[in-house]
Amino acid sequence: MRKVHPFELLFDIFNAALMIAVVLIMAYPFLYVFLYSISDPSRLKAGLMLWPQKVTLNSYKVIFANPVIINGVYISVARSVIGTITMLMVTGAAAYAISKRHLIGVRFLRVFFLLTMYFSGGIIPAYLLIKSLGLTNNFLVYIIPSMVSVFNMILIRTYVESIPASLEESALMVGANELQIFVYLIVPMSTPVFAAVGLFSFVNQWNSFVDVQIYNFMKPDLYPLQYILYNYLMSQSQSVEQAKRSMNVSAISPQSLKTTITIITILPIFFIYPILQKYFVSGLMVGSIKE
Amino acid sequence: MAHQLKPAKGRKNLLLKLERQKYLILLVLPAFVLTLIFSYVPLAGWYIAFSDYQLGFSFFAGKWTGLEQFLIFFRETNDAYNIIRNTLAMNVMSLVGGLGIAFIFSLLIKEVGSGRAKKVIQIITFFPYFMSWVILYSVIYSLFSTSSGAINSFLVDAGVLKEGLNILGDKKYSWTLIVLVNIWNTLGYNSVIFLASISNVPTDLYEAASIDGAGRLQKAIYITIPYMVPTLLVLFIMNSGWILNSGLDQYLVFTNPTNRPTMEVFDMYIYRYGIKLMNYSYATAVGIIKSIVSIIILYGVNLLSKRVSSRSII
Repeated sequence: MRKVHPFELLFDIFNAALMIAVVLIMAYPFLYVFLYSISDPSRLKAGLMLWPQKVTLNSYKVIFANPVIINGVYISVARSVIGTITMLMVTGAAAYAISKRHLIGVRFLRVFFLLTMYFSGGIIPAYLLIKSLGLTNNFLVYIIPSMVSVFNMILIRTYVESIPASLEESALMVGANELQIFVYLIVPMSTPVFAAVGLFSFVNQWNSFVDVQIYNFMKPDLYPLQYILYNYLMSQSQSVEQAKRSMNVSAISPQSLKTTITIITILPIFFIYPILQKYFVSGLMVGSIKE
Repeated sequence: MAHQLKPAKGRKNLLLKLERQKYLILLVLPAFVLTLIFSYVPLAGWYIAFSDYQLGFSFFAGKWTGLEQFLIFFRETNDAYNIIRNTLAMNVMSLVGGLGIAFIFSLLIKEVGSGRAKKVIQIITFFPYFMSWVILYSVIYSLFSTSSGAINSFLVDAGVLKEGLNILGDKKYSWTLIVLVNIWNTLGYNSVIFLASISNVPTDLYEAASIDGAGRLQKAIYITIPYMVPTLLVLFIMNSGWILNSGLDQYLVFTNPTNRPTMEVFDMYIYRYGIKLMNYSYATAVGIIKSIVSIIILYGVNLLSKRVSSRSII
C-alpha cells in the first residue's frame, strides 16, 4: 500500500470539516424552522437549538383547523395538478407535431416557439393583456398562461425524436391517425420525459406566488399556501397583532405559526425531492445533449 | 406513408396536404394560439410607452407622446442610476461568486473518499434550489430577523454583538445579503453541472498520471481543472446574457421601504411603478429600456462567446 503523505491527511481532514460545514449551512436553517414548529412556544428561548423544546403538535392542530389554510391547500394542490396536466397535454402535443419534419410550416413553427425564450413584452403589457382578457381575480390565470412551456417542448421533442420511426410507420399502415398515434403510442413510450417535465412543472406551480400578487391579490379565496405565507410574512414585519387577527389565530405565537406554515408548504416538495433530484440530473443531461 | 407521396405542387395540393395533416395541425394549434396571445400580443403593448395610455382603453387609444416617458427615467431623478447600479452589482456578483464557489466546491467534493458521502452532500446541497423564495425568506427571517432571529439572538447572548444586525432591513447589507443567499441557493445546482463535466474525464488519464507519480493536487491542477474550464466558460457566458433579469419573486420578498435604495432592481421598479402606482406608460418605457440593454449585452456576450469558445449561444 502507498504511504499516505502527511500533507494529504491534513487536506482530507480539512476537506471533511469543510463538507460538514457546508452541509450544516444548507440543512440547518430548514432543520431550525422544523424544530421551532414542533416546540412548545412557552419553552422557547430565542437562539439556536439542536433539538425541539418539549415536543408538541399544537401549532399544527391549530393551523389545520383554520379554514384559510385549508382553502390554501386546496388551491395549491388544484393549481399544481391541473396546471401540470394541462401543460403536459398542450406542450406535449405541440412537441410531437413539430418533431415531424414534413409538417406544413414546421420550420416557422420551431422558430416561432423558440423566439419566446429570448424576449418578452414585459410585466406591464402582459398584465394589461391578462386584465383585458378577464383573467384577473380568476383561478384560470394560474393555468392558461403556463400551458405552453417552450423549454419543456424542446425536452419532449428531443425525446420523441429518439423513438424509432418504424413503430409509427407500422401504426400508420394499419390506419391509425396521428392523434391516435400520439395518445396510444408516443405518450406511453415517452413516460420518462413526461414524468420529469411534469415534476418540474408541479414544483413550479407549487412554488408560484408572484402571479397571485399581480393578478389575484384581491381574491383571498384564490390564495395558495405560498401566498398566504408571503402575506403573513410581509404583514408581520409591519404589525404582528394585525396579522394575527387577520389569520384569526391567537392560541399560538406568531413565530410558531409562521414556522408551521413554512413546514407544511415545504412538505410536498420534501417528499418528492429524492425523485426530483434524480430526474434533474438526467434532465440536465438531456439539455446538454441538445446543446 | 402519406407524406412520402410525390411532392405536390400548387394551391390544390396545399389543401390536400393540409387535409392529410389535419391531425398534426390540430395537435400544434392550441400551443400556437396560446403562444401568439401570451407571448406575441404583449409586444403590441410596447406602444403605450410612447403614448398616454389610460386603463380600460385599447393599447392604441392614447395620445402620442414620443420619447417623453423614456426621458423622465433618465432626467428627472436618480432612479436610472440607482436601478442600473443595483441590478448589475447584485447580478454580476451573484453570477461570479456563485460559479466560482461552485467550481471550487465541486473540485473538493471529488476528493471526498466515500461515494455515499458524496451523494449525501450533493442531495443536501441541492435542496434549497427547489424552494420558493417565500420559503427561503421565511427560513432566513427566522435566523436573521433583528429581534427574534436565532443567529442574531445567539450572537447577542454570546456577547459578540451589542444588538442584532438588521440584515434584512438595513440598506448597507442589501448586496451582501442577496449575493450570499444566491450562492447558498444555487450551489447545489451549479455543482451538479460541474460534477457532470468532471465525470467526463477519462479515468485512464488519472491512471497514467498516477504511474508518472502525480499526487492528488497535481491531478486536480493538470487534469480535472482543464476539463472543467470549458463548462465554466459556457455557464458564465450563457448566464450573463440574462444579467438584467432579476426574478421578481426573489426581490418581492427581500425589498422593503428601508432597504429600497440599494435593493431595488429593474423588475421591482417596473412592478412598483406599473402595478402598484398604475403608471403604465412609464413602467412600460422602463421595461423597454431594460429589454434593449439586455439585447445589447446578449449580443456582446454572444460575440465574445464565438471568439472564446467558437459557439453561439443564440
